[in-house]
Amino acid sequence: MARMLMRGNEALAEAAIRAGCKAFFGYPITPQNEIPGYMAEHLPLRGGVFLQAESEVAAINMVYGAAGAGARVMTSSSSPGISLKQEGISYIAAGELPCVIVNVMRCGPGLGGIHPSQGDYFQAVKGGGHGDYRLIVLAPGSVQEMADLTMLAFELADKWRNPVMILADGTLGQMMEPVEFSAETKSEPVEKPWATTGAVNRKPNVINTLDIVPESLERVNHRLLAKYERIKEEEVRWQAVGVKDADLILVGYGTSARVARSAMEQARRDGLKVGLFRPISLFPFPEKQIRELAKAERQFLVVEMSGGQMVEDVRLAVDGRSPVHFTNRLGGMVPTPEEVLEKVESILEGRGN
Amino acid sequence: MRGQVIVDQERCKECSLCITACPHDVLRISAAINSKGYHPVEAYQPENCTGCTFCATICPDVALTIMRKRPERK
Repeated sequence: MARMLMRGNEALAEAAIRAGCKAFFGYPITPQNEIPGYMAEHLPLRGGVFLQAESEVAAINMVYGAAGAGARVMTSSSSPGISLKQEGISYIAAGELPCVIVNVMRCGPGLGGIHPSQGDYFQAVKGGGHGDYRLIVLAPGSVQEMADLTMLAFELADKWRNPVMILADGTLGQMMEPVEFSAETKSEPVEKPWATTGAVNRKPNVINTLDIVPESLERVNHRLLAKYERIKEEEVRWQAVGVKDADLILVGYGTSARVARSAMEQARRDGLKVGLFRPISLFPFPEKQIRELAKAERQFLVVEMSGGQMVEDVRLAVDGRSPVHFTNRLGGMVPTPEEVLEKVESILEGRGN
Repeated sequence: MRGQVIVDQERCKECSLCITACPHDVLRISAAINSKGYHPVEAYQPENCTGCTFCATICPDVALTIMRKRPERK
């Protein structure tokens, strides 16, 4: 298929259909409306189910049901809507059901506004709902990645029997870029012997998240934690540019990483040794990779569109080996490359923050 | 006024690229709200428009149409 100019949200939706998504349940909210819009138009024609639920809570519980029945299923929303889904997400994680949840982040807290932000990092990577669970969290940095990581998300969800979140933001959702769908082939359907597909000639499968015997639930907790540890070993994804000789490494994901990349390129033209480290998987976080880059004569500058969330994970990874600085914009504002460059210059010139 | 900008308010996502691209300060973000919640752009100084189509060319959402005044025949 040729390269097409597509909006991020639409590329994501098309990728989901190509990845074999058979059911979509959602509820409208800006800036992700193009996802249900595209799904409503295309999914039924291509053998799937589109349903606009009566609320976000209903939508996530429909996802719970469809995932339990073994379908590749997706829902999407934006920050306040994702908050509403948290109870269901915790249930799905506890039931070890594969599904894809898309959060096209907008600014908050509260209803906030409809402009882009990265304020839901903690919610996405630290659990978000109740209980000890983790999502696999993928952070696209371009429209192409909105598509590629969505396809990957369905595969990871099935592989690990775990919900996967695509953590994008309003800018990535709304912007248009060329995108190519590399593989025309659909991903292979996965055997799901645990699914509740009608117990014909076999014992019934039960999906249940209630376990009131502490000894038993502790075993479940340990099994889940062991799974998350294996995910940490196997599924870390990142991109590093110009970090080998760097005096300062910019760290950012999604839209912030694009801004940081522009700042990095200008800094290099100005003769400054600046690199960029972009986590693509936010859980598992590329902790080891950042730690290996940390050394005394090197500094880090984390760029975010939040009050300072991923910077905490960078500090944990760096573990005191290098100074870690922070710069941000909030409330739907996007930092400019010039602002980031100015910060880079002030740090490298020893003017501190 | 040699040109006229027509805004498809529902397509506009308030990215402001057209405002940056316009060499004659014709456009600005309006106070109106479309069904997605964005404030679409408006031509607040339409008399400055030369019909150069820079704004329509840069608009990623094809939200802008430019009408040009036909040159008068002599």
